[in-house]
Amino acid sequence: MESITIQKSDVESIIAKYNHSRGGLIGVLEEVQALYSYLPGEALEIIADQTEHTLVDIFGVATFYKSFSLKPRGKHLCSICMGTACHVRGGPIIEEEFQRQLGIKAGETTADKEITSETVNCLGACALGPIVVVDGHYFSNVNTADVKKIIRKTRKGLDKISIKGDERIFPIKISCSRCNHSLMDPKYPIDDYPSIKVTMSFGRKHGWLRLTSLYGSYNTESEYSIPEDEVLNFFCPHCHGELIGASHCPECSTVMVSMLIQGGGILQVCPREGCRGHLLDV
Amino acid sequence: MRKQNSIVEFQDFQDLLISDISPDIPTIIISSGTCGQASGAGSLIRVVKRELIAQQQTQNIRLRITGCHGFCEMEPSLLIMPRGTFYPKVKLKKVPMIISAIANNETISELLWSDPKNGGSIEKQVDIPFFKYQSRTILSRNEKTDPIRIFSYVRHGGYKQFVRLLEKGDHDYILEEVKKSGIRGRGGAGFPAGVKWEMLAAKKNTNGKFLVCNADEGDPGAYMDRSVLEGNPHSIIEAMLIGALATGATQGVFYVRQEYPLAIKHLLIALRQARELGVLGENILDTDFSFDLDLVKGAGAFVCGEETALIKSIEGKMGEPRQRPPYPIEMGINGSPTVINNVETWANIPIIFELGAENFAKVGTKGNSGTKIFSLVGKIRNTGLVEVPMGMTIEEIIHAIGGGAVGSKSIKAVQTGGPSGGCIPTSLFNLPIDYDSLSQAGSIMGSGGMIVMDENSCMIDVAKYFMNFLKDESCGKCYTCRKGTQRMYEILDDFSNGLGTPEKLELLIELAVVVRDTTMCGLGQTASNPVLSTIRYFPDEYNAHIESKMCPGGVCKELITYSINDNCNGCQVCVRACPEEAITGKKKEMHLIDLDKCIKCGSCVSVCQFDAVETA
Repeated sequence: MESITIQKSDVESIIAKYNHSRGGLIGVLEEVQALYSYLPGEALEIIADQTEHTLVDIFGVATFYKSFSLKPRGKHLCSICMGTACHVRGGPIIEEEFQRQLGIKAGETTADKEITSETVNCLGACALGPIVVVDGHYFSNVNTADVKKIIRKTRKGLDKISIKGDERIFPIKISCSRCNHSLMDPKYPIDDYPSIKVTMSFGRKHGWLRLTSLYGSYNTESEYSIPEDEVLNFFCPHCHGELIGASHCPECSTVMVSMLIQGGGILQVCPREGCRGHLLDV
Repeated sequence: MRKQNSIVEFQDFQDLLISDISPDIPTIIISSGTCGQASGAGSLIRVVKRELIAQQQTQNIRLRITGCHGFCEMEPSLLIMPRGTFYPKVKLKKVPMIISAIANNETISELLWSDPKNGGSIEKQVDIPFFKYQSRTILSRNEKTDPIRIFSYVRHGGYKQFVRLLEKGDHDYILEEVKKSGIRGRGGAGFPAGVKWEMLAAKKNTNGKFLVCNADEGDPGAYMDRSVLEGNPHSIIEAMLIGALATGATQGVFYVRQEYPLAIKHLLIALRQARELGVLGENILDTDFSFDLDLVKGAGAFVCGEETALIKSIEGKMGEPRQRPPYPIEMGINGSPTVINNVETWANIPIIFELGAENFAKVGTKGNSGTKIFSLVGKIRNTGLVEVPMGMTIEEIIHAIGGGAVGSKSIKAVQTGGPSGGCIPTSLFNLPIDYDSLSQAGSIMGSGGMIVMDENSCMIDVAKYFMNFLKDESCGKCYTCRKGTQRMYEILDDFSNGLGTPEKLELLIELAVVVRDTTMCGLGQTASNPVLSTIRYFPDEYNAHIESKMCPGGVCKELITYSINDNCNGCQVCVRACPEEAITGKKKEMHLIDLDKCIKCGSCVSVCQFDAVETA
């Protein structure tokens, strides 16, 4: 893995965030690990410098809890459940098969830095054991023959969506939630379907934004390049009213944008760039 | 969301929501907890939405996404209310058919649950044996509630009990009712919750008093707390509000293990919505009652389920237990008095006030009131979460609800209480499930894991598994626990490798007793249970390993060999599955395993459809 550069300011802003909250140190370490995928020694020294915790205490906590790693981890994290229910249904055999297929022991990372495999005590999906979780995707009733397939899918990327031929992805038609005017733009297709056209603004920028009308795809196009995490305001290009919703994004708590589905239902999407949070209520 | 500014305003709002219920409109309910999603509920939800729009049924059929209903084995499933139709293991291709059937108030009989014993199909969820013999007081609420929408909870009577008690303003009444209900802590030890609350109420502390919801469900094999938090987070928030009213606590903390990402997500959404609605935070509903809740994530340490370790972890320190007394009720978070209750204990609190304490106490047996949720998993036909009255026998749970063993195998034992519990043999299956009977049998209730073992499970392997778990999870503070669990593991490992001697068995028993008697916290004191209970009930298996160097369950690798019997029809599936090319044989001819090449990985056993691979 290319050596990670630790930005002092990044670590400091995490420390500041947890300064007043309960369980401070564990929270800080969790966020640092989320940022770098492990706990770099340099970051721990910054924490020791800036807080009342000594480096010894910090190492104590970092090594006491299983979820912290002092070694760099791979791009994908593969957790094999070692709970009792998974154990009696053959969890250890699955774990050995992972070892054999990846050529590494539990807790190690493959030489190409792609996959880290680890064992966990119980993931709480005991009825479906043996359970394997890769990057948040659950695989249930895993047998040894499945292991190869799981690894292949992992290397390809489990979040990748192939739009064609997936019955879970379907087109919807959208109207303004204020004036009921259709927002569909057949002249400007995205994913080969008419796009949803709205007006958006952020900062001093103001312009058009087109969203895919395929539910399950996340493609958008805009006349500006939008910075990551920027929260946009959406407007109807016909009545110019703001399309503000009543709910918060289930992923990131931003107030969502609401639109009507022609034929019944409400679609709410998160206006924060990079967030895929959405709710479709029929 | 509009904030409710007074008790009356909230009550009017709730009445308005309730009047909006149209019980006759068909509703599709999709069970979508972690286990549901692992089985494909996410895809099912998308396709149901697609079809509702495509068939223009959005006005006529409602959809509710909920937490887990408990029948995990049959997921992804659809429950159609008010008719009560249950479609198990729904294939995406069948969704259009099901939606049209619902629109015409029909059912598709070939997609219903069918009884493996007689092949007959059953339409309604309540008639399926798995559900029929349960008393689903807590779990049935998961079906009614969309966990990420507070209105859904309020519409079904949520926060009503809290608001009623807030209006009544009588702390002693709440304490009396909880005591009268007889509810005991569902985390395992069974301490009466009302008594604990009363002690906290009597404490004076200027720096505040704490309530904690212990959701560090570390027992491998138990997941009811996850299911309740994911499926009905507001019920726990309401319970803690009631607890705060009764005890004068000022702050609450959820301690949730980080292995439960969906529970954490739903809980954070619920907390935000409760604050927005005005039922949580400063001056709730414009009264002088204030209470707020934080969420602290556990970072993966089993011992943090122990209350003194949990407190240290909440304070951001290493989760090492300390000597009690002083108990948390004297010296808890930051030195302030603290009451810790488990998720399931909290989940019962609103129910006690809804049913009335006397009615609540009528369920179960004397001294063990109410229901208990068990996770029925392992080698059993119907796996899932089951909620039964206390005092039901293990036999009833395993056979009437669980449907007995898988295939032609026979059940040998059930393990309860996780690493602190023990194995109960079939001869004791008529034992009623309550705190006292289980501990007399050398096990404990624990948080409710019930792992079923059949003839293909090895009890030495199970004991070794728990000892491996405990030696890793021992915090190391007490020498006898740190070294004792390590040595017990090594001895059991010797047994499984054919290196056992009668002297080692004697040493194992001696060690187990020493560890039990000389350690400080619950982890060490109960660490010997898996060893002692298996020695007590399965001496023959220990003998087979020690004397004859054989593993009757066919699990301990060093003591078994694989062979192919004449069930083999030569399908070559195992030939392809074997990673070492140890299996040879032509198509339609019986195959053979080369024992020199065989690494005993079990791949052939898991792929064979004809029970043709044997262990001896």
